[in-house]
Amino acid sequence: MVKSTTTTSSTAKDAQALFHSLRSSYVATPTNLKIIDLYVLFAIFTALIQICYMAIVGSFPFNSFLSGVLSCVGTAVLAVCLRIQVNKENKEFKDLAPERAFADFVLCNLVLHLVIMNFLG
Amino acid sequence: MAKNLVIFLTLISFLPLLCNSFSSENPSDRKILVLVDDLGIKSSHSIFFKSLQTRGFELDFKLADDPKLTLKRYGTYLYDGLVLFSPSTKRLGGSLDSAAVLEFVDAGHDLILTADSSASDLIRDIATECGVDFDEDSEAMVIDHTSYAVSATDGDHTLIASDDFIKSDVILGSKKIEAPVLFQGIGHSLSSANSLGIKVLSASPAAYSANPNAKLSNPPSLTGAAISLVSVVQARNNARVVISGSLDLFSNRLFKSAVQKAGTSIKHEKSGNEQFATELSKWVFHERGHLKAVNVRHHRVGETDEPAIYRINDEVEYSVEIYEWSGTSWVPYNSNDVQLQFYMMSPYVLKNLSTDKKGLYSTIFKVPDVYGVFQFKVEYQRLGFTSLSLSKQIPVRPYRHNEYERFIPTAFPYYGASFSTMAGFFVFTIVYLYHK
Repeated sequence: MVKSTTTTSSTAKDAQALFHSLRSSYVATPTNLKIIDLYVLFAIFTALIQICYMAIVGSFPFNSFLSGVLSCVGTAVLAVCLRIQVNKENKEFKDLAPERAFADFVLCNLVLHLVIMNFLG
Repeated sequence: MAKNLVIFLTLISFLPLLCNSFSSENPSDRKILVLVDDLGIKSSHSIFFKSLQTRGFELDFKLADDPKLTLKRYGTYLYDGLVLFSPSTKRLGGSLDSAAVLEFVDAGHDLILTADSSASDLIRDIATECGVDFDEDSEAMVIDHTSYAVSATDGDHTLIASDDFIKSDVILGSKKIEAPVLFQGIGHSLSSANSLGIKVLSASPAAYSANPNAKLSNPPSLTGAAISLVSVVQARNNARVVISGSLDLFSNRLFKSAVQKAGTSIKHEKSGNEQFATELSKWVFHERGHLKAVNVRHHRVGETDEPAIYRINDEVEYSVEIYEWSGTSWVPYNSNDVQLQFYMMSPYVLKNLSTDKKGLYSTIFKVPDVYGVFQFKVEYQRLGFTSLSLSKQIPVRPYRHNEYERFIPTAFPYYGASFSTMAGFFVFTIVYLYHK
Protein backbone atom coordinates (compact mmCIF):
# COMPACT_ATOMS: atom_id res chain seq x y z
CA MET A 1 0.00 0.00 0.00
CA VAL A 2 2.70 2.33 1.01
CA LYS A 3 4.70 1.26 -1.94
CA SER A 4 1.84 1.83 -4.37
CA THR A 5 1.18 5.28 -2.94
CA THR A 6 4.79 6.16 -3.48
CA THR A 7 4.53 4.76 -7.02
CA THR A 8 1.45 6.89 -7.71
CA SER A 9 3.06 9.98 -6.32
CA SER A 10 6.22 9.31 -8.27
CA THR A 11 4.15 8.80 -11.53
CA ALA A 12 2.32 12.05 -10.85
CA LYS A 13 5.59 13.71 -10.31
CA ASP A 14 6.95 12.27 -13.56
CA ALA A 15 3.89 13.44 -15.46
CA GLN A 16 4.20 16.85 -13.91
CA ALA A 17 7.85 17.01 -14.88
CA LEU A 18 7.05 15.89 -18.41
CA PHE A 19 4.25 18.43 -18.75
CA HIS A 20 6.51 21.13 -17.39
CA SER A 21 9.30 20.33 -19.84
CA LEU A 22 6.83 20.18 -22.73
CA ARG A 23 5.46 23.58 -21.80
CA SER A 24 8.86 25.14 -21.36
CA SER A 25 10.04 23.84 -24.70
CA TYR A 26 6.77 24.84 -26.40
CA VAL A 27 7.27 28.42 -25.21
CA ALA A 28 10.40 28.44 -27.32
CA THR A 29 8.37 27.54 -30.46
CA PRO A 30 8.20 30.38 -33.00
CA THR A 31 4.97 32.44 -32.97
CA ASN A 32 3.93 31.53 -36.53
CA LEU A 33 3.87 27.82 -35.61
CA LYS A 34 1.84 28.65 -32.50
CA ILE A 35 -0.72 30.45 -34.65
CA ILE A 36 -0.98 27.37 -36.90
CA ASP A 37 -1.48 25.13 -33.84
CA LEU A 38 -4.28 27.34 -32.62
CA TYR A 39 -5.90 27.16 -36.05
CA VAL A 40 -5.66 23.34 -36.09
CA LEU A 41 -7.22 23.13 -32.62
CA PHE A 42 -10.09 25.35 -33.77
CA ALA A 43 -10.74 23.04 -36.76
CA ILE A 44 -10.66 19.86 -34.67
CA PHE A 45 -12.96 21.38 -32.09
CA THR A 46 -15.51 22.38 -34.76
CA ALA A 47 -15.40 18.86 -36.23
CA LEU A 48 -16.01 17.29 -32.81
CA ILE A 49 -19.02 19.55 -32.19
CA GLN A 50 -20.54 18.46 -35.51
CA ILE A 51 -19.99 14.76 -34.80
CA CYS A 52 -21.74 15.13 -31.42
CA TYR A 53 -24.61 16.99 -33.12
CA MET A 54 -24.93 14.23 -35.74
CA ALA A 55 -25.05 11.58 -32.99
CA ILE A 56 -27.99 13.43 -31.45
CA VAL A 57 -30.16 14.42 -34.45
CA GLY A 58 -29.26 11.60 -36.84
CA SER A 59 -27.45 11.53 -40.14
CA PHE A 60 -30.26 12.90 -42.32
CA PRO A 61 -28.70 15.48 -44.60
CA PHE A 62 -25.69 13.22 -44.79
CA ASN A 63 -24.03 15.20 -47.56
CA SER A 64 -24.19 18.36 -45.41
CA PHE A 65 -22.73 16.51 -42.45
CA LEU A 66 -19.92 15.10 -44.58
CA SER A 67 -19.05 18.45 -46.09
CA GLY A 68 -19.14 20.17 -42.69
CA VAL A 69 -16.85 17.63 -41.04
CA LEU A 70 -14.57 17.22 -44.05
CA SER A 71 -14.08 20.98 -44.32
CA CYS A 72 -12.73 20.92 -40.75
CA VAL A 73 -10.62 17.81 -41.27
CA GLY A 74 -9.27 19.13 -44.57
CA THR A 75 -8.43 22.47 -42.98
CA ALA A 76 -6.61 20.72 -40.14
CA VAL A 77 -4.64 18.48 -42.51
CA LEU A 78 -3.62 21.38 -44.74
CA ALA A 79 -2.59 23.46 -41.73
CA VAL A 80 -0.45 20.61 -40.38
CA CYS A 81 1.20 20.29 -43.81
CA LEU A 82 1.96 24.00 -43.76
CA ARG A 83 3.41 23.67 -40.26
CA ILE A 84 5.75 20.88 -41.38
CA GLN A 85 6.95 22.93 -44.35
CA VAL A 86 7.54 26.23 -42.55
CA ASN A 87 9.21 24.68 -39.47
CA LYS A 88 12.84 25.84 -39.54
CA GLU A 89 14.04 22.80 -37.54
CA ASN A 90 12.71 20.50 -40.24
CA LYS A 91 15.65 19.94 -42.61
CA GLU A 92 13.62 18.02 -45.16
CA PHE A 93 12.03 21.20 -46.60
CA LYS A 94 14.99 23.52 -46.14
CA ASP A 95 15.08 24.24 -49.89
CA LEU A 96 11.41 25.25 -49.92
CA ALA A 97 10.73 28.93 -49.38
CA PRO A 98 8.08 29.63 -46.66
CA GLU A 99 6.32 31.98 -49.13
CA ARG A 100 5.99 29.13 -51.61
CA ALA A 101 4.64 26.82 -48.85
CA PHE A 102 2.07 29.43 -47.85
CA ALA A 103 0.97 29.95 -51.48
CA ASP A 104 0.46 26.18 -51.82
CA PHE A 105 -1.58 26.20 -48.62
CA VAL A 106 -3.86 29.01 -49.86
CA LEU A 107 -4.41 27.32 -53.21
CA CYS A 108 -5.28 23.97 -51.62
CA ASN A 109 -7.70 25.70 -49.25
CA LEU A 110 -9.45 27.42 -52.15
CA VAL A 111 -9.93 24.09 -53.91
CA LEU A 112 -11.12 22.46 -50.66
CA HIS A 113 -13.72 25.11 -49.99
CA LEU A 114 -14.93 25.07 -53.59
CA VAL A 115 -15.63 21.35 -53.24
CA ILE A 116 -17.23 21.83 -49.83
CA MET A 117 -19.56 24.54 -51.14
CA ASN A 118 -20.70 22.27 -53.96
CA PHE A 119 -21.28 19.32 -51.69
CA LEU A 120 -22.98 21.26 -48.91
CA GLY A 121 -26.42 20.90 -50.61
CA MET B 1 -77.69 10.85 -111.64
CA ALA B 2 -76.82 13.06 -108.68
CA LYS B 3 -80.00 11.95 -106.94
CA ASN B 4 -79.02 8.31 -107.37
CA LEU B 5 -75.63 9.06 -105.89
CA VAL B 6 -77.22 10.72 -102.84
CA ILE B 7 -79.47 7.69 -102.28
CA PHE B 8 -76.50 5.38 -102.68
CA LEU B 9 -74.40 7.35 -100.17
CA THR B 10 -77.30 7.41 -97.68
CA LEU B 11 -77.70 3.65 -97.96
CA ILE B 12 -73.95 3.13 -97.57
CA SER B 13 -73.94 5.23 -94.39
CA PHE B 14 -76.61 2.98 -92.85
CA LEU B 15 -74.61 -0.14 -93.64
CA PRO B 16 -72.66 -0.24 -90.36
CA LEU B 17 -75.95 -0.35 -88.45
CA LEU B 18 -76.88 -3.57 -90.18
CA CYS B 19 -73.75 -5.38 -89.11
CA ASN B 20 -74.57 -6.70 -85.66
CA SER B 21 -72.37 -9.74 -85.76
CA PHE B 22 -69.76 -10.75 -83.18
CA SER B 23 -67.36 -7.97 -82.33
CA SER B 24 -65.55 -6.63 -79.32
CA GLU B 25 -68.38 -4.16 -78.82
CA ASN B 26 -71.04 -6.84 -79.20
CA PRO B 27 -69.46 -10.11 -78.13
CA SER B 28 -72.47 -12.45 -78.19
CA ASP B 29 -72.54 -14.79 -81.11
CA ARG B 30 -75.22 -14.18 -83.68
CA LYS B 31 -74.99 -16.74 -86.41
CA ILE B 32 -74.50 -20.38 -85.54
CA LEU B 33 -73.93 -23.38 -87.76
CA VAL B 34 -75.53 -26.59 -86.48
CA LEU B 35 -74.20 -29.80 -87.97
CA VAL B 36 -76.37 -32.89 -87.48
CA ASP B 37 -76.17 -36.55 -88.46
CA ASP B 38 -79.74 -36.57 -89.70
CA LEU B 39 -82.27 -33.79 -89.76
CA GLY B 40 -84.43 -35.68 -87.26
CA ILE B 41 -82.25 -34.14 -84.54
CA LYS B 42 -83.71 -30.77 -85.50
CA SER B 43 -87.06 -31.93 -84.14
CA SER B 44 -85.87 -34.32 -81.43
CA HIS B 45 -83.75 -31.51 -79.85
CA SER B 46 -86.12 -28.69 -80.78
CA ILE B 47 -86.49 -27.24 -77.26
CA PHE B 48 -82.77 -26.52 -77.06
CA PHE B 49 -82.70 -24.96 -80.54
CA LYS B 50 -85.85 -22.99 -79.77
CA SER B 51 -84.27 -21.47 -76.65
CA LEU B 52 -81.31 -20.35 -78.77
CA GLN B 53 -83.55 -18.84 -81.42
CA THR B 54 -85.68 -16.93 -78.91
CA ARG B 55 -82.48 -15.43 -77.52
CA GLY B 56 -81.76 -14.00 -80.96
CA PHE B 57 -79.43 -16.54 -82.48
CA GLU B 58 -79.72 -17.39 -86.13
CA LEU B 59 -79.34 -21.15 -86.54
CA ASP B 60 -78.25 -22.70 -89.80
CA PHE B 61 -78.93 -26.46 -89.90
CA LYS B 62 -76.78 -28.54 -92.20
CA LEU B 63 -76.11 -32.24 -92.56
CA ALA B 64 -72.58 -32.99 -91.38
CA ASP B 65 -71.69 -34.60 -94.70
CA ASP B 66 -73.21 -31.85 -96.86
CA PRO B 67 -70.70 -31.47 -99.73
CA LYS B 68 -71.16 -27.68 -99.82
CA LEU B 69 -70.23 -27.24 -96.19
CA THR B 70 -67.90 -24.31 -95.44
CA LEU B 71 -67.17 -22.10 -92.45
CA LYS B 72 -65.23 -19.46 -94.26
CA ARG B 73 -65.65 -17.50 -97.44
CA TYR B 74 -63.10 -15.05 -98.85
CA GLY B 75 -61.10 -15.25 -95.62
CA THR B 76 -63.95 -14.24 -93.31
CA TYR B 77 -65.97 -16.59 -91.19
CA LEU B 78 -69.64 -16.96 -92.07
CA TYR B 79 -70.57 -18.08 -88.56
CA ASP B 80 -69.81 -17.00 -85.00
CA GLY B 81 -70.41 -20.37 -83.40
CA LEU B 82 -70.50 -24.04 -84.31
CA VAL B 83 -72.66 -26.76 -82.79
CA LEU B 84 -71.55 -30.30 -83.63
CA PHE B 85 -74.54 -32.55 -82.95
CA SER B 86 -73.13 -35.19 -85.22
CA PRO B 87 -71.33 -37.73 -83.03
CA SER B 88 -71.17 -40.55 -85.57
CA THR B 89 -69.95 -38.60 -88.61
CA LYS B 90 -66.69 -40.07 -89.90
CA ARG B 91 -65.87 -37.21 -92.25
CA LEU B 92 -67.32 -33.73 -92.47
CA GLY B 93 -68.51 -32.61 -95.87
CA GLY B 94 -67.15 -29.87 -98.07
CA SER B 95 -63.92 -28.18 -97.03
CA LEU B 96 -64.50 -28.89 -93.37
CA ASP B 97 -62.27 -31.20 -91.35
CA SER B 98 -61.00 -31.29 -87.77
CA ALA B 99 -58.21 -28.83 -88.61
CA ALA B 100 -60.73 -26.35 -90.01
CA VAL B 101 -62.88 -26.68 -86.88
CA LEU B 102 -59.84 -26.05 -84.65
CA GLU B 103 -58.81 -23.10 -86.77
CA PHE B 104 -62.32 -21.74 -86.28
CA VAL B 105 -61.83 -21.97 -82.51
CA ASP B 106 -58.36 -20.48 -82.77
CA ALA B 107 -59.93 -17.49 -84.51
CA GLY B 108 -61.90 -16.85 -81.31
CA HIS B 109 -65.17 -18.57 -82.16
CA ASP B 110 -67.20 -20.89 -79.98
CA LEU B 111 -67.95 -24.58 -80.25
CA ILE B 112 -70.34 -27.09 -78.73
CA LEU B 113 -69.08 -30.61 -79.28
CA THR B 114 -71.16 -33.65 -78.40
CA ALA B 115 -70.18 -37.28 -78.50
CA ASP B 116 -72.17 -40.40 -77.97
CA SER B 117 -71.52 -44.06 -77.43
CA SER B 118 -70.83 -44.21 -81.15
CA ALA B 119 -68.41 -41.25 -81.24
CA SER B 120 -66.30 -41.16 -84.38
CA ASP B 121 -62.55 -40.62 -84.55
CA LEU B 122 -63.19 -37.17 -85.96
CA ILE B 123 -65.07 -36.06 -82.84
CA ARG B 124 -62.42 -37.70 -80.63
CA ASP B 125 -59.66 -35.88 -82.55
CA ILE B 126 -61.26 -32.48 -82.05
CA ALA B 127 -61.82 -33.25 -78.35
CA THR B 128 -58.22 -34.38 -77.91
CA GLU B 129 -56.99 -31.13 -79.44
CA CYS B 130 -59.08 -29.32 -76.80
CA GLY B 131 -57.34 -31.30 -74.04
CA VAL B 132 -60.19 -33.77 -73.45
CA ASP B 133 -59.78 -37.54 -73.86
CA PHE B 134 -62.84 -39.70 -74.41
CA ASP B 135 -62.70 -43.31 -73.27
CA GLU B 136 -60.82 -45.20 -75.97
CA ASP B 137 -63.14 -48.20 -75.87
CA SER B 138 -65.71 -47.38 -78.55
CA GLU B 139 -68.37 -49.53 -76.88
CA ALA B 140 -67.89 -48.02 -73.42
CA MET B 141 -70.52 -45.94 -71.63
CA VAL B 142 -70.59 -44.38 -68.20
CA ILE B 143 -72.26 -46.79 -65.76
CA ASP B 144 -73.24 -45.92 -62.24
CA HIS B 145 -74.95 -48.39 -59.93
CA THR B 146 -75.50 -45.89 -57.13
CA SER B 147 -76.76 -42.69 -58.73
CA TYR B 148 -78.62 -43.92 -61.81
CA ALA B 149 -82.04 -42.55 -62.72
CA VAL B 150 -84.81 -44.78 -61.39
CA SER B 151 -87.04 -46.08 -64.17
CA ALA B 152 -89.78 -48.68 -64.55
CA THR B 153 -87.45 -51.28 -65.98
CA ASP B 154 -84.26 -51.93 -64.07
CA GLY B 155 -82.06 -51.41 -67.14
CA ASP B 156 -78.27 -51.32 -67.22
CA HIS B 157 -77.79 -48.12 -65.19
CA THR B 158 -76.31 -46.10 -68.07
CA LEU B 159 -78.89 -43.34 -67.66
CA ILE B 160 -77.19 -41.39 -64.90
CA ALA B 161 -78.77 -38.72 -62.72
CA SER B 162 -75.89 -36.46 -61.81
CA ASP B 163 -75.97 -33.38 -59.65
CA ASP B 164 -72.25 -32.84 -59.16
CA PHE B 165 -72.10 -29.40 -60.81
CA ILE B 166 -69.27 -26.97 -60.76
CA LYS B 167 -69.93 -24.21 -58.23
CA SER B 168 -69.73 -21.23 -60.53
CA ASP B 169 -72.48 -18.68 -60.99
CA VAL B 170 -70.93 -17.39 -64.16
CA ILE B 171 -70.92 -20.75 -65.96
CA LEU B 172 -74.22 -22.20 -64.74
CA GLY B 173 -76.18 -19.07 -63.82
CA SER B 174 -77.03 -17.70 -60.42
CA LYS B 175 -80.16 -19.84 -60.09
CA LYS B 176 -79.35 -23.18 -58.52
CA ILE B 177 -80.15 -26.23 -60.62
CA GLU B 178 -82.45 -28.23 -58.30
CA ALA B 179 -83.11 -31.40 -60.27
CA PRO B 180 -80.33 -33.78 -61.30
CA VAL B 181 -79.18 -33.80 -64.91
CA LEU B 182 -79.85 -36.95 -66.92
CA PHE B 183 -76.87 -38.20 -68.88
CA GLN B 184 -76.45 -41.16 -71.16
CA GLY B 185 -73.21 -41.39 -73.08
CA ILE B 186 -69.48 -41.76 -72.83
CA GLY B 187 -67.18 -40.35 -70.22
CA HIS B 188 -64.02 -38.35 -70.73
CA SER B 189 -61.11 -37.18 -68.67
CA LEU B 190 -59.28 -33.86 -68.73
CA SER B 191 -55.60 -34.27 -69.38
CA SER B 192 -53.53 -32.98 -66.48
CA ALA B 193 -51.57 -30.71 -68.82
CA ASN B 194 -54.75 -28.88 -69.72
CA SER B 195 -55.03 -25.92 -67.38
CA LEU B 196 -57.81 -24.29 -69.38
CA GLY B 197 -60.33 -27.14 -69.17
CA ILE B 198 -62.88 -27.27 -66.37
CA LYS B 199 -65.23 -30.10 -65.38
CA VAL B 200 -68.76 -28.75 -65.30
CA LEU B 201 -70.61 -31.98 -64.61
CA SER B 202 -68.66 -34.77 -62.93
CA ALA B 203 -69.64 -38.37 -62.36
CA SER B 204 -70.16 -39.73 -58.86
CA PRO B 205 -67.27 -41.55 -57.14
CA ALA B 206 -68.98 -44.89 -57.86
CA ALA B 207 -69.20 -44.42 -61.63
CA TYR B 208 -67.04 -46.21 -64.15
CA SER B 209 -66.72 -46.40 -67.88
CA ALA B 210 -67.21 -49.81 -69.50
CA ASN B 211 -69.19 -51.69 -72.11
CA PRO B 212 -72.62 -52.37 -70.51
CA ASN B 213 -73.29 -55.40 -72.72
CA ALA B 214 -70.09 -57.30 -71.96
CA LYS B 215 -68.74 -58.90 -68.85
CA LEU B 216 -66.20 -56.69 -67.14
CA SER B 217 -62.98 -58.67 -67.37
CA ASN B 218 -60.40 -55.95 -66.75
CA PRO B 219 -60.60 -53.02 -64.33
CA PRO B 220 -62.13 -50.05 -66.17
CA SER B 221 -59.63 -47.41 -67.26
CA LEU B 222 -61.82 -44.48 -66.20
CA THR B 223 -63.42 -44.54 -62.78
CA GLY B 224 -65.01 -42.34 -60.17
CA ALA B 225 -64.82 -38.59 -60.01
CA ALA B 226 -62.04 -38.55 -62.60
CA ILE B 227 -64.78 -39.07 -65.17
CA SER B 228 -66.12 -35.83 -66.52
CA LEU B 229 -69.52 -35.92 -68.18
CA VAL B 230 -69.55 -32.34 -69.47
CA SER B 231 -66.48 -30.09 -69.62
CA VAL B 232 -65.77 -26.60 -70.84
CA VAL B 233 -62.59 -25.08 -72.18
CA GLN B 234 -61.88 -21.39 -72.41
CA ALA B 235 -58.96 -20.83 -74.73
CA ARG B 236 -56.41 -18.06 -74.23
CA ASN B 237 -58.12 -16.06 -76.98
CA ASN B 238 -61.36 -16.32 -74.96
CA ALA B 239 -62.95 -18.76 -77.42
CA ARG B 240 -65.23 -21.10 -75.49
CA VAL B 241 -65.81 -24.80 -76.06
CA VAL B 242 -68.34 -27.12 -74.45
CA ILE B 243 -67.64 -30.84 -74.67
CA SER B 244 -70.39 -33.24 -73.70
CA GLY B 245 -70.20 -37.00 -73.73
CA SER B 246 -73.88 -37.24 -74.41
CA LEU B 247 -75.95 -35.86 -77.25
CA ASP B 248 -79.12 -37.05 -75.53
CA LEU B 249 -78.48 -34.59 -72.70
CA PHE B 250 -79.78 -31.87 -75.06
CA SER B 251 -82.77 -33.88 -76.35
CA ASN B 252 -86.44 -33.08 -75.78
CA ARG B 253 -86.93 -36.56 -74.33
CA LEU B 254 -84.54 -35.93 -71.41
CA PHE B 255 -85.53 -32.25 -71.09
CA LYS B 256 -89.11 -33.29 -70.31
CA SER B 257 -88.37 -36.50 -68.49
CA ALA B 258 -89.16 -36.85 -64.81
CA VAL B 259 -86.21 -37.85 -62.70
CA GLN B 260 -85.66 -39.70 -59.48
CA LYS B 261 -82.13 -40.38 -58.43
CA ALA B 262 -81.54 -43.86 -57.04
CA GLY B 263 -81.35 -43.90 -53.27
CA THR B 264 -83.41 -40.73 -52.81
CA SER B 265 -87.16 -40.43 -52.40
CA ILE B 266 -87.52 -37.03 -54.08
CA LYS B 267 -89.07 -37.29 -57.53
CA HIS B 268 -88.57 -34.23 -59.72
CA GLU B 269 -91.28 -33.61 -62.32
CA LYS B 270 -88.72 -32.33 -64.77
CA SER B 271 -85.03 -33.05 -65.07
CA GLY B 272 -82.41 -30.32 -64.71
CA ASN B 273 -81.30 -30.80 -68.31
CA GLU B 274 -83.15 -27.85 -69.81
CA GLN B 275 -81.85 -25.35 -67.28
CA PHE B 276 -78.36 -26.87 -67.45
CA ALA B 277 -78.19 -26.81 -71.24
CA THR B 278 -79.67 -23.32 -71.52
CA GLU B 279 -77.35 -21.80 -68.92
CA LEU B 280 -74.32 -23.55 -70.41
CA SER B 281 -75.22 -22.29 -73.89
CA LYS B 282 -75.53 -18.75 -72.50
CA TRP B 283 -72.00 -19.06 -71.19
CA VAL B 284 -70.49 -20.65 -74.28
CA PHE B 285 -72.01 -18.06 -76.62
CA HIS B 286 -70.68 -15.17 -74.48
CA GLU B 287 -73.96 -13.99 -73.03
CA ARG B 288 -72.36 -14.15 -69.61
CA GLY B 289 -68.90 -13.77 -68.15
CA HIS B 290 -67.43 -11.65 -70.94
CA LEU B 291 -65.45 -8.74 -69.52
CA LYS B 292 -63.99 -5.68 -71.16
CA ALA B 293 -61.71 -3.04 -69.73
CA VAL B 294 -61.78 0.49 -71.09
CA ASN B 295 -60.52 3.96 -70.17
CA VAL B 296 -57.26 2.94 -68.56
CA ARG B 297 -56.03 6.18 -67.01
CA HIS B 298 -53.23 7.15 -64.68
CA HIS B 299 -52.01 10.49 -63.40
CA ARG B 300 -50.39 12.16 -60.41
CA VAL B 301 -52.72 12.82 -57.51
CA GLY B 302 -54.18 16.30 -57.95
CA GLU B 303 -53.57 16.41 -61.69
CA THR B 304 -55.66 15.14 -64.58
CA ASP B 305 -53.19 14.86 -67.46
CA GLU B 306 -51.38 11.63 -68.07
CA PRO B 307 -47.62 12.30 -67.80
CA ALA B 308 -45.08 10.63 -70.06
CA ILE B 309 -42.80 9.87 -67.12
CA TYR B 310 -43.09 9.60 -63.35
CA ARG B 311 -40.57 10.51 -60.67
CA ILE B 312 -39.72 8.21 -57.76
CA ASN B 313 -41.98 8.69 -54.73
CA ASP B 314 -44.76 10.33 -56.79
CA GLU B 315 -48.32 9.68 -55.65
CA VAL B 316 -50.09 8.08 -58.60
CA GLU B 317 -53.76 7.46 -59.21
CA TYR B 318 -54.67 4.60 -61.57
CA SER B 319 -58.16 3.88 -62.81
CA VAL B 320 -59.80 1.49 -65.25
CA GLU B 321 -63.42 0.77 -66.11
CA ILE B 322 -64.52 -2.86 -66.30
CA TYR B 323 -67.83 -3.93 -67.77
CA GLU B 324 -69.50 -7.29 -68.23
CA TRP B 325 -71.60 -8.16 -71.27
CA SER B 326 -75.09 -9.16 -70.17
CA GLY B 327 -76.21 -10.46 -73.56
CA THR B 328 -77.73 -7.16 -74.61
CA SER B 329 -75.66 -4.41 -73.04
CA TRP B 330 -72.55 -3.71 -71.04
CA VAL B 331 -73.23 -3.57 -67.31
CA PRO B 332 -70.73 -2.52 -64.61
CA TYR B 333 -68.74 -5.41 -63.23
CA ASN B 334 -68.53 -5.53 -59.45
CA SER B 335 -65.78 -7.36 -57.66
CA ASN B 336 -63.32 -6.57 -54.94
CA ASP B 337 -60.47 -8.76 -56.14
CA VAL B 338 -59.15 -6.84 -59.15
CA GLN B 339 -55.48 -6.14 -58.53
CA LEU B 340 -53.03 -3.70 -60.01
CA GLN B 341 -49.35 -4.42 -60.32
CA PHE B 342 -46.63 -1.82 -60.73
CA TYR B 343 -44.20 -4.12 -62.41
CA MET B 344 -40.55 -4.17 -63.39
CA MET B 345 -39.29 -7.78 -63.61
CA SER B 346 -41.41 -8.40 -60.52
CA PRO B 347 -44.30 -6.48 -58.99
CA TYR B 348 -43.00 -3.66 -56.78
CA VAL B 349 -46.55 -2.63 -55.90
CA LEU B 350 -49.48 -5.06 -55.75
CA LYS B 351 -52.71 -3.41 -54.73
CA ASN B 352 -56.42 -4.19 -54.76
CA LEU B 353 -58.43 -1.76 -56.83
CA SER B 354 -61.45 -0.30 -55.10
CA THR B 355 -64.65 -0.01 -57.07
CA ASP B 356 -67.41 2.61 -57.04
CA LYS B 357 -69.97 -0.07 -58.06
CA LYS B 358 -70.44 1.70 -61.39
CA GLY B 359 -67.63 -0.12 -63.12
CA LEU B 360 -64.83 2.29 -62.21
CA TYR B 361 -61.88 0.71 -60.43
CA SER B 362 -59.21 2.96 -58.99
CA THR B 363 -56.39 3.14 -56.51
CA ILE B 364 -53.74 5.55 -55.30
CA PHE B 365 -50.23 4.37 -54.58
CA LYS B 366 -46.73 5.71 -54.15
CA VAL B 367 -44.17 5.01 -56.84
CA PRO B 368 -41.36 2.97 -55.24
CA ASP B 369 -37.96 4.51 -54.58
CA VAL B 370 -36.53 2.72 -57.63
CA TYR B 371 -36.15 4.12 -61.11
CA GLY B 372 -36.44 2.25 -64.40
CA VAL B 373 -39.07 1.26 -66.93
CA PHE B 374 -42.19 0.03 -65.14
CA GLN B 375 -45.53 -1.30 -66.31
CA PHE B 376 -49.03 -0.83 -64.96
CA LYS B 377 -50.43 -4.35 -65.13
CA VAL B 378 -53.85 -5.79 -64.49
CA GLU B 379 -54.00 -9.55 -64.90
CA TYR B 380 -57.48 -10.72 -64.08
CA GLN B 381 -58.27 -14.39 -64.52
CA ARG B 382 -61.29 -15.80 -62.77
CA LEU B 383 -63.16 -19.04 -63.30
CA GLY B 384 -65.65 -18.67 -66.12
CA PHE B 385 -64.78 -15.08 -66.97
CA THR B 386 -62.83 -14.03 -70.00
CA SER B 387 -59.33 -13.10 -68.94
CA LEU B 388 -58.29 -9.47 -68.77
CA SER B 389 -54.67 -8.64 -69.42
CA LEU B 390 -53.81 -4.96 -69.46
CA SER B 391 -50.36 -3.52 -69.45
CA LYS B 392 -49.06 -0.05 -70.01
CA GLN B 393 -45.41 0.90 -69.96
CA ILE B 394 -44.22 3.95 -68.07
CA PRO B 395 -40.68 5.10 -67.19
CA VAL B 396 -39.79 6.29 -63.69
CA ARG B 397 -36.91 8.75 -63.24
CA PRO B 398 -34.90 9.74 -60.16
CA TYR B 399 -34.98 13.24 -58.68
CA ARG B 400 -33.39 15.93 -60.79
CA HIS B 401 -30.45 17.68 -59.08
CA ASN B 402 -32.58 20.75 -58.31
CA GLU B 403 -35.49 18.75 -56.92
CA TYR B 404 -33.75 17.88 -53.69
CA GLU B 405 -34.73 19.81 -50.57
CA ARG B 406 -32.44 22.73 -49.73
CA PHE B 407 -31.70 24.81 -46.62
CA ILE B 408 -32.87 22.08 -44.27
CA PRO B 409 -33.01 23.47 -40.69
CA THR B 410 -31.36 20.29 -39.35
CA ALA B 411 -28.31 20.99 -41.48
CA PHE B 412 -27.78 24.58 -40.28
CA PRO B 413 -24.95 23.60 -37.86
CA TYR B 414 -23.11 21.97 -40.76
CA TYR B 415 -23.55 25.07 -42.90
CA GLY B 416 -22.34 27.15 -39.97
CA ALA B 417 -19.29 24.92 -39.47
CA SER B 418 -18.36 25.11 -43.16
CA PHE B 419 -18.65 28.90 -43.25
CA SER B 420 -16.82 29.29 -39.94
CA THR B 421 -13.86 27.27 -41.27
CA MET B 422 -13.84 29.56 -44.29
CA ALA B 423 -13.91 32.62 -42.07
CA GLY B 424 -11.27 30.97 -39.87
CA PHE B 425 -9.07 30.46 -42.93
CA PHE B 426 -9.46 34.13 -43.86
CA VAL B 427 -8.63 35.35 -40.35
CA PHE B 428 -5.74 32.88 -40.08
CA THR B 429 -4.24 34.15 -43.35
CA ILE B 430 -4.30 37.76 -42.15
CA VAL B 431 -2.94 36.94 -38.73
CA TYR B 432 -0.23 34.66 -40.13
CA LEU B 433 0.95 37.23 -42.69
CA TYR B 434 0.88 40.29 -40.41
CA HIS B 435 1.74 38.96 -36.95
CA LYS B 436 5.22 40.51 -36.78
